[in-house]
Amino acid sequence: MTTPKHKNFSPARISAIASNTLLELVRQKVFYFMLLFALLIIGSSAFMVKFSFQQQFQVLKDVSLGAMSIFTWLLAVLATAMLLPKDIEDRTLYTILAKPVPRFEYLLGKLLGVLLLLAIAISLMSVVFAAVLYAREQIVIAETIRGTAPELQAAAIREVKSVTFQANLVPGIIVIYLKSALCAALTLLLSTFASSWIFTVIVSVMVYFIGHVQPIAREYWLTEMPGGQDPAPLLKGFLGLVALVFPDFQLFNLVDDIVVGNVIPMAMFVKTAALGCGYIVVYTVVAYLVFANKEL
Amino acid sequence: MTGPAISIQKVTKVFPIPFRREHVVAVKDLSLEVSPGQVYGLLGPNGSGKSTTMKIVLGLVTPTTGRTEIFGRDSTSVESREEVGFLPENPYFYKYLTGAETLHFYGKLCGLRGARLKERAKELLDLVGLEGAANRRIGGYSKGMLQRIGLAQALVQEPRLLVLDEPTAGVDPAGSREIRDLILDFKKRGLTVLLCSHLLGQVQEICDRIGILHQGALVREGRLDDLISIQSQTELILENATPELLAQLEETISRSSARVVEKRKPQTTLERYFLEVTGGGK
Repeated sequence: MTTPKHKNFSPARISAIASNTLLELVRQKVFYFMLLFALLIIGSSAFMVKFSFQQQFQVLKDVSLGAMSIFTWLLAVLATAMLLPKDIEDRTLYTILAKPVPRFEYLLGKLLGVLLLLAIAISLMSVVFAAVLYAREQIVIAETIRGTAPELQAAAIREVKSVTFQANLVPGIIVIYLKSALCAALTLLLSTFASSWIFTVIVSVMVYFIGHVQPIAREYWLTEMPGGQDPAPLLKGFLGLVALVFPDFQLFNLVDDIVVGNVIPMAMFVKTAALGCGYIVVYTVVAYLVFANKEL
Repeated sequence: MTGPAISIQKVTKVFPIPFRREHVVAVKDLSLEVSPGQVYGLLGPNGSGKSTTMKIVLGLVTPTTGRTEIFGRDSTSVESREEVGFLPENPYFYKYLTGAETLHFYGKLCGLRGARLKERAKELLDLVGLEGAANRRIGGYSKGMLQRIGLAQALVQEPRLLVLDEPTAGVDPAGSREIRDLILDFKKRGLTVLLCSHLLGQVQEICDRIGILHQGALVREGRLDDLISIQSQTELILENATPELLAQLEETISRSSARVVEKRKPQTTLERYFLEVTGGGK
């Protein structure tokens, strides 16, 4: 038997590492959190009968999208933080890199595995969310037509439907996915130089919160204060560093707009998606540069 | 062209200690060669630089100075690893995968696909005696089974060189003997093996050549027989010798310039005795 000639870049090797990472994570029963998600939104929808139907759908979307955002973020951080330290601790990394596998392929494969897991998780949550939203819509329609004159029923149904499945839900869910993917890439970068997975998780959580106040730092850094009230140069430098290194997570927060039914402009969606992808690429490249020189 | 399987040329590895202006010299000006088909034992106490040397050979650690080659290719290049299989000390594989899935994963990393990969995985599972555990998850494997699946993954792309770090560490005598027999089988097939072990008795049985590392430096190196033979002494083992014959021999010796250093009954090894008593560990 002769093995095929070595290629410097092999999508097949990356795909083998990605599918193996996904399989490992799936077999660790990470999808059990789906039960929690389903219970949360079904439970929340059961307590909303006293609200107007507009309020019911607003609360349901708020709870569901908020839960999707938190669950995917937690999944991204916890699943990614374990990958590298566990492979090093178990020496599995040695057996993989002792094969003709370049380090960037290993890293990319691991990240793609997590991104696939997140895609499956958010798709499943979206299906559960859509099912609960549909069920709620049918209940509301049934209640609405019961007390409405036949000639007004079609208009009443249209009104209910106009506030349930709105077009802004799709870009909203995509942005939640991108935010979690960004967190996964960031966590992978941290794990390339962290000494333990706990350290990685703690720093990743801190970065997440810093990312939510990043716009304030950016504003202070970029705005010229009148009358020489500018912050000290050292502080200004620090604010600049925060503004450049940390992503602005507020940009990825479209849930409020979706809940009140605001249309998400295409330009804004494309800009947010491009920013998210840009951060993922930058973090992955930096992770590779650190990992390429790591002594194992 | 038959160059050396491994060539280590004046390699030094220095690890800086973080947050201190100190450093540790793990390997000091090491040069050695391993010929194709040879079983080479790298020995030394803990912290003598064996594992670092192995990692340098595998390209997992970059030497501070010097160069290593595998079959003429710089071992820092990814392609050089096409020829190498590695079994680390106390390996743990992905415990949610089965034995067969593990071999498929490593095979795919080496470019194997489809029916060829399935066939190779089956062949290796048979070779290491894990055909009955192919569909069991690695998490349920014993220590000896883990070592054997580790050997199988190391062999998946049919490498010409095997690097084994403590392949029998923590394995019971029967399992240890099976692994030793496998290594002897690899030797028969012409594979080159670089072996690190603390079990000197086993190294003596398997290796053609050894190198002894101490505090990062190679203090002795050569053919095993040459290194451990006592050149001034001769061993004669007789079967069914009568007391009269032994007396005659002793008398002849006493008349010469030679002297009897020791007279004793040859002994079996404790391992063989243990295996006889326990029925080969089965």
